[in-house]
Amino acid sequence: MRMTKKTASDGGFTVVVLAAAFFLNLLLDRWFETIALVPMIFVLGVFLISLKTQHLFWGIFGSFVSVLLVNYAFTYPYFGIDLVSPECIVSALVMLVVAVMTGTLTMQIRKTLQMKAEIEKESMRANLLRAVSHDLRTPLTTVYGSCSAIIDNFDSLDKAEQIKLLRGIQQDAQWLIRMVENLLSVTRIDAEGVQLKKTPTVLEEFIDTVLLKFKKRCPGTAVIADIPDTFVSIPMDAVLMEQVLMNLLENAVYHARGMTELRLCVTLKGSRAWFSVSDNGCGIEESILPHLFTGCLDRHTETSDSCRSNMGIGLSVCAAIVRAHGSTITAANQKTGGAVFRFSLETEAEDEA
Amino acid sequence: MKHNRYKVLLIEDESNIRSMVKAILYANGYQVILADSCQSGMMLFSSHLPDLVILDLGLPDRDGLEFIRHIRKTDVTPVLVLSARTTEEDKIQALDLGANDYVTKPFGTGELLARVRAALRSCRISRDAALPAGKFQLLDLTIDYNRRLVTVGGGEVSLTQTEYNILDFLSQNSGKVLTYSAIIRQVWGYDDPGSVKKLQVNMANLRKKLGAKPGAENYIVNELGVGYRMNDT
Repeated sequence: MRMTKKTASDGGFTVVVLAAAFFLNLLLDRWFETIALVPMIFVLGVFLISLKTQHLFWGIFGSFVSVLLVNYAFTYPYFGIDLVSPECIVSALVMLVVAVMTGTLTMQIRKTLQMKAEIEKESMRANLLRAVSHDLRTPLTTVYGSCSAIIDNFDSLDKAEQIKLLRGIQQDAQWLIRMVENLLSVTRIDAEGVQLKKTPTVLEEFIDTVLLKFKKRCPGTAVIADIPDTFVSIPMDAVLMEQVLMNLLENAVYHARGMTELRLCVTLKGSRAWFSVSDNGCGIEESILPHLFTGCLDRHTETSDSCRSNMGIGLSVCAAIVRAHGSTITAANQKTGGAVFRFSLETEAEDEA
Repeated sequence: MKHNRYKVLLIEDESNIRSMVKAILYANGYQVILADSCQSGMMLFSSHLPDLVILDLGLPDRDGLEFIRHIRKTDVTPVLVLSARTTEEDKIQALDLGANDYVTKPFGTGELLARVRAALRSCRISRDAALPAGKFQLLDLTIDYNRRLVTVGGGEVSLTQTEYNILDFLSQNSGKVLTYSAIIRQVWGYDDPGSVKKLQVNMANLRKKLGAKPGAENYIVNELGVGYRMNDT
């Protein structure tokens, strides 16, 4: 169905360009005595058609029609067709060559662009994979090692030591869950042909769900929520957007040293809802701000005790999800101290409700 | 070891998860019957008549939904569904077929036990009192079904007919996740494309009237994209 739609719009474009060229020539024919401009303008038209349409067919079609139109209106006999003169055949051939060459060139350019995008995506995926496998190894080592230690020394380890090991396993497993959730989200966005499952989501319900989930994961941190009092419905993939806010809130907990206040605000501006997650912690180093969302944070800039970062991956997942929703996420340091992350989503048009 | 009288049928094909859930339930005094396929689950169900079924949707022989469809022909036994995040459609389908609740993998011990208790409780209520006589009490929310009167902390809350009907339906199924379409069918009697929005608007007003704040423990839990659940006492 999409195919036929595309074909229809290409056909429409071809007709419009040809008609425009024809009438322009009629006009010019009145002002200037010469008809030297006529073929030029038609060649330009054919060039445009080949450039903009998806299929070579339209360029070739355009060139044939152009030859006929030139022959019909602008050469002797005026407003009559003469298909036998060699002049006509040569001009038809030239038009044809122009159409085919432009078409082929455009195809090539398009292919190159596609390849470039593919390579970019591939390198992002590779970066992510590298970061992930590095990050997964540490907790897995703990889980595997601690389990073996308990099984092998079940009688010699005292209870307190066993509990300590088990708690380590529990924590690392929880961290792995979060990591895997992020990875699942990324593969869902990246998978070819898989569209976001956008459903109209009530802002208040969405924020409520996020806050409750966050409370379960980080019971020690209170979030100050500030959302509009009105009924707002936003088309979004709620599972993925939930992940964005969870990542941002958790990042603040793990990375904003000295934070005493964590805020989640939503404000309405026009038809968009602006989300912001801000803290009053240590802020983000200016030097890493530009690379924050690329998924390849330089590990050397992190202090050694915060090796369990997850930040690079979490943020690149946020960026990918927000991008898939047609927006961009930005990070900045506030003048009053602390970091702030912002993005916006299109709200659903107010209808009768 | 605490003992209670409940018998739980666990249908799960993954042996590690099976033994983990069994250990959790057993340690809390439940009797556990294990099945590793839909087929054996159905057989054990009819021979043991459990009080609760914990059902994994992705089973090797048949779809777990098949099981719910099968037992709902004759039984009201609560079913708790275990689902992975990738099977959200199945989750809604399972609820609409009559499952009581779902737990998303990976889950914690506390979460699972709370859901098990809630499911058992909700079924006891609906068995004891088939008619909506009497009252519903949750924290400082009281619903007097006879007088159609709702109070929060002693103060009367004035609700529209629709809002009351929604609250009525949710409270009579407290602890159970009700899908959007289940609520819509109950309250409006029909289901057209605009209905979910209508329900959401009514829910927003209802929440506001009950004095709910986002992120605070509320009476009604939002199950995003699925439906609503009345917290249970």
